Amino acid sequence: MDKILKINESSEKVIIDLLKFLFENKKINGVFTLRKAKQNSSVDYALITDISGLDKAVPFYPLMPANAGKVLSFFTLKKPTIKPIAAILRPCEIRSFIELVKREQGSLENFLIISSSCGGVLPIKSPEEQDFDKSISNYWKSVKNSEIYANIRPSCKACEFFTPFNADMTFSLIGEKEQDKECKIFLHTDKAEKFVVGFKGNISEGELESSEISSLLEQRKSKKEILFNEIGIKNKGLDGMVDVFGKCLGCHGCMRVCPICYCILCDFESPTYDYRKIDYENQLHKKGGLRLPPDTIFFQIGRLTHMSFSCVGCGMCSDVCPVNIPVSTIFMKTGEETRQPFDYLPGRDVEDKIPVMVFMEEEFTDLGE
Amino acid sequence: MMNTSENETFIPQNGAKIFIKDSIKDTILHFFKDTLEKKYFDAVLIPVKVPAGDSYSWILIEDISLLKDANPIAPIMTVQGATALSKFTRKGKGSLKVAVIFRPCEIRATIELAKLEQVDLEKVYLFSFDCPGSLPILDYIQDPEKGEKTFSSFYADDNWTNESIKPVCQMCTDFSLTSSDLHFGIAGMNKDQILLIPNSKKGEDVLNDLKIKSGESLSDWQKKIDEITQKKEKIKAETFQKIKPQVEGLDNLIETFSKCISCHNCMSVCPICYCRQCYFDSEVSKFNSDNYFQRAEKRGGLRFPPDNILFHSGRMTHMNLSCVSCGMCEDACPVSIPVAQIFSYVGDKTQKAFEYQPGRNRGEPLPLKTYQTEELQEIKKLVNDSFGQE
Repeated sequence: MDKILKINESSEKVIIDLLKFLFENKKINGVFTLRKAKQNSSVDYALITDISGLDKAVPFYPLMPANAGKVLSFFTLKKPTIKPIAAILRPCEIRSFIELVKREQGSLENFLIISSSCGGVLPIKSPEEQDFDKSISNYWKSVKNSEIYANIRPSCKACEFFTPFNADMTFSLIGEKEQDKECKIFLHTDKAEKFVVGFKGNISEGELESSEISSLLEQRKSKKEILFNEIGIKNKGLDGMVDVFGKCLGCHGCMRVCPICYCILCDFESPTYDYRKIDYENQLHKKGGLRLPPDTIFFQIGRLTHMSFSCVGCGMCSDVCPVNIPVSTIFMKTGEETRQPFDYLPGRDVEDKIPVMVFMEEEFTDLGE
Repeated sequence: MMNTSENETFIPQNGAKIFIKDSIKDTILHFFKDTLEKKYFDAVLIPVKVPAGDSYSWILIEDISLLKDANPIAPIMTVQGATALSKFTRKGKGSLKVAVIFRPCEIRATIELAKLEQVDLEKVYLFSFDCPGSLPILDYIQDPEKGEKTFSSFYADDNWTNESIKPVCQMCTDFSLTSSDLHFGIAGMNKDQILLIPNSKKGEDVLNDLKIKSGESLSDWQKKIDEITQKKEKIKAETFQKIKPQVEGLDNLIETFSKCISCHNCMSVCPICYCRQCYFDSEVSKFNSDNYFQRAEKRGGLRFPPDNILFHSGRMTHMNLSCVSCGMCEDACPVSIPVAQIFSYVGDKTQKAFEYQPGRNRGEPLPLKTYQTEELQEIKKLVNDSFGQE
């Protein structure tokens, strides 16, 4: 059983009040959260270091301009933060951060992680659409009714992990019909309990899991299969890959925004793949024709091999793709298959070892057979 | 139309008349098929429809049968031709004689990359054509059939400034002959013919070798090109008027780029940004958490990832003199920032300051890579004016 902090005010207000409280009581020196950019509807992530900066904070705004796991890695790569920071993250962002921490690309030290049960996010292009405001209000209706909102990212529609692992506290949003009047915060850790001492509200006990959450989980599970089948590459092998990735521009935007692809220089952009003119000519003689730049499918398969174990299905890759390839759906599905034999779930526990990075003696026996 | 090839001034005097069979695109395709069959060229680099039929990719073709899905004048530019050619020619020598059919902006980017030693033009023959622009990639992908139809009407309707083409294409004034070896002149011609114009010694040799008689006057074609250019100059001025307020001053720049998610797609697809690793993606651009915290505290908040404007202005400083306004950056931007129009607007100013036109002339050195003694006098004067004499 977790402790629940109940407050008779909207979740939107309580999160800001809580952050102000934490600042005022010197429990934190900074807040890492979404912030509404100047005049337009876009949002960005920001490290806010004083209370006045919170005026622009929109912690649960359903947009993901960058996967925050990647951003926190950027922030803590060279040195953990020495000052305590409250970070408001979506479940998939915590999971990617955990995967990066396992790879020594960041540190959880001095973070208070605040999350929520997540209804998904709208694609980054959405603010350009005419009825974006309406879209936002419909989004919240769907969250309250534990439904999949039609306009969210495909990867969000297929996400089964919309309640967080490794959060210190979770704002319950899914299925909370009264969230405009009542806020429920689940306190998972001692740290969370200590941090809220002196804050408003009443403490009780309960579980985040609810019938509303299981209902949404079922909807999302079936949606995942539908989405994958829609792409039409199932059982089609290489031809299927060529069909779906044929229009790839080779911009590698998918890789650049991927929270797991942390390499400073991707292998596929390294001199290893700079072929000599004579090599191209030899290939040309063999095949009669040669696509330039080469290795379009090879790049995708290579990236799948390198990171699909840790793919958290955040959907950044699909969102950034200039030619609308459903990258994330393919990567999510592949990740699910590659992880299955290892019973591995990215971001579940920072102590879980990444399957291809550990070796067990029995594996050798398997190979011998 | 001044043009030079390999440091020598070449002024195109006349062209060869080619009669159109079926369509302009098929006529050009037939030319390449013919030269491959005669083994005059060993291979041709040309846009080919991808198997799914929803896009094009660059294919270097040796096997003539593969030309069946090729389209020398594709409605979209999915990869800047210069980028594709650079991949092929950057490392070492080869033995094949290769023909390349590019849009004028791809020719210009190729020349810039040759100056930057990222393209080797040995045994490469550059062909260009009067370009009606290209459609935004996503518009085409969403409805390829409609895209083909719209695009094919441009030549037929003599429409060079259609609103469905990319904004940078609508205002492009270098849409015709630049510094290719041979150019297919299409504008201002009778409906049944095009002109093949030699534009370098190399190009002249091709016509001589193939025994194609050149002698047709260029005046009708030239007149039409001048007329279209004037129209496009006007659109350019209007577009720049629209872009100006969006980028003038730091506040406007921040506002315009506030949507940027730092994916750096603009840089990845830019033909001029050839660095294997961008400075702004490198280790030196990353700091420790104390540094970020201090920066945040100074202003009450720090955007993450940081240095958004620094990246764009840095990229601009690095490549703007060579920007050919091809529009790849804008097409690849996932949040619809008018990157290409902005870079074109700034490029227009910086390039004018040096009287430099990227890709105009193979022999013309890159402004920032040359040094003239008089420049020192100018700087001396600037310093003296600002700080007084010693």
